[in-house]
Amino acid sequence: MSKMNKQNNNLSRGILWSLAFIFFVISLLQLDIAPEKLANIFSRTQRLLDNMFPPVIDDPINIAGAAIESLQIAVMGTLWGIIFSILLAFFAAKNMTPHISISYLVKALAAFVRAVPALIWALLFIIAVGLGPTPGILALAVNSVGMLVKVYAETIEEIDQRVIDAIRATGGSPIQVVMQGVLPTISSIFISWSVFRFDINLRYATVLGVVGAGGIGWELIRASRMIAYNEMLGVTIVMFIMVLGAEYFTRFLKQRADLATIRATK
Amino acid sequence: MNLPLEEALQQQSNKQQLQYEAYKSRKRSLLYNRYFILGILAILIIWSWVGTKFHIMDLFSGFSNMAIFIFQDLLPPDFTTIPSFVGPILETLYMSYVGLLFSVTFSLFFGLMAAKNTTVHPAVAIVSRSFIAFLRSIPAMVWGILLVAAIGLGPLAGTLALGLSGIGILGKAFADLLEEIDENQVNAVRATGANWYQVIGQAVWPQFKPGFVGWSLYKMDLNIREASVLGVVGAGGIGFALEGSISLFQYQQASVGILAIFALILVVEFITAKLREKII
Repeated sequence: MSKMNKQNNNLSRGILWSLAFIFFVISLLQLDIAPEKLANIFSRTQRLLDNMFPPVIDDPINIAGAAIESLQIAVMGTLWGIIFSILLAFFAAKNMTPHISISYLVKALAAFVRAVPALIWALLFIIAVGLGPTPGILALAVNSVGMLVKVYAETIEEIDQRVIDAIRATGGSPIQVVMQGVLPTISSIFISWSVFRFDINLRYATVLGVVGAGGIGWELIRASRMIAYNEMLGVTIVMFIMVLGAEYFTRFLKQRADLATIRATK
Repeated sequence: MNLPLEEALQQQSNKQQLQYEAYKSRKRSLLYNRYFILGILAILIIWSWVGTKFHIMDLFSGFSNMAIFIFQDLLPPDFTTIPSFVGPILETLYMSYVGLLFSVTFSLFFGLMAAKNTTVHPAVAIVSRSFIAFLRSIPAMVWGILLVAAIGLGPLAGTLALGLSGIGILGKAFADLLEEIDENQVNAVRATGANWYQVIGQAVWPQFKPGFVGWSLYKMDLNIREASVLGVVGAGGIGFALEGSISLFQYQQASVGILAIFALILVVEFITAKLREKII
């Protein structure tokens, strides 16, 4: 019996692998990746690299300003994303929602908003509110809401009901239940997800400028349209430094907070 | 002259006093730290608020304009244009898949080199780690722009962009997985006289496999999202058709494109979830 099972398993695994391989071949054919094209890549990349080095940053003040704008868009997008997500999460969590149908509605909405990429939200918001950093902020906020509502609601659903009952039993009002029972248990998970989302948003903010939603992406696409390869590399390096710097900064804050907690609970 | 009992009570209350002092100082340092972080956050937010010239009214006007735009222009979707999106959607899928296989293949190599316990030399590990980190910190979109400049418009640039940024994510994941492998199992297999292939096959692979499959399928989900917007810079996929219809003000056509992306993501996530269940 177990031998037959194993054979069956092997057969289905074989089918799976061959399907994966056939799909790979089809994809290669459909993408039109011909060998001569691949051979061409090397000579063209060689030319690109020759033109790229040394990297230059024309107009450093402008590019630094654009990098800072990207950072600011990420901060504002995350801020509004968090605010709206916290409000919506209480409607989405099954144990807090006024009615179960509202919970399903909010969750379905969040799933849709999450599935549409941030850049497409930016394209739509540019039509709705015009160019500049505002559509970038709104696009990041909307896309963050899609993800954060889901994880916040899941966190709230996992709250220990007995804690809430205990506070309610002492005569606590709904606000006191939230402040004393709900917030302390969910705050650390909320914070770690929000920091994670900030990292994602920062990466999105660097490319939102490609469609004109503010930030450093615009400088990159401008350089590529002018075929200024060395400037493209310069802007890419600025982006790299900005993302890395922000990551070190959030890590520093996190470590500081952890250290203080450890010292206080010793 | 104090009586012994009074003395003992005095001592006890002193002790309590000390404990209370310690408690207060702990509480104070925690509070101080919290204010410090909140202060930094507040400064950051105010700085960004002023820097982007954001106005609280922008929220209301933005969302109300968006709602008007959705209900007046985007809806109802013009479903007669579906055939024009079938090709780009399939192209997005092909790009994600080939990009995934590309990044998995190279990530296995760079992951092996970057993990401390499988690398050929510690210096190689550091070089490999920093290469992976470099690939990771540049978004796929930027790789798309650079590669379109290098090899021209088309899905090949997008596929390579997905592959390169994928090495950044998968390479790190694979290296971390390899470093967490239980050495005892490897040593046990080696002690039976197994050769290198047998050690990899019988001791390393079984421990590595669940993480390997999970991360690769997760990357497939990510690839679909990235691939659907790479077309905006001309790197192939549905983004190109979508941006085209938006810039031609064909919003009812664009809404079909958005729905198509949504459907594609749902289908691929369903398939990867099934595969995850089946393989792990």
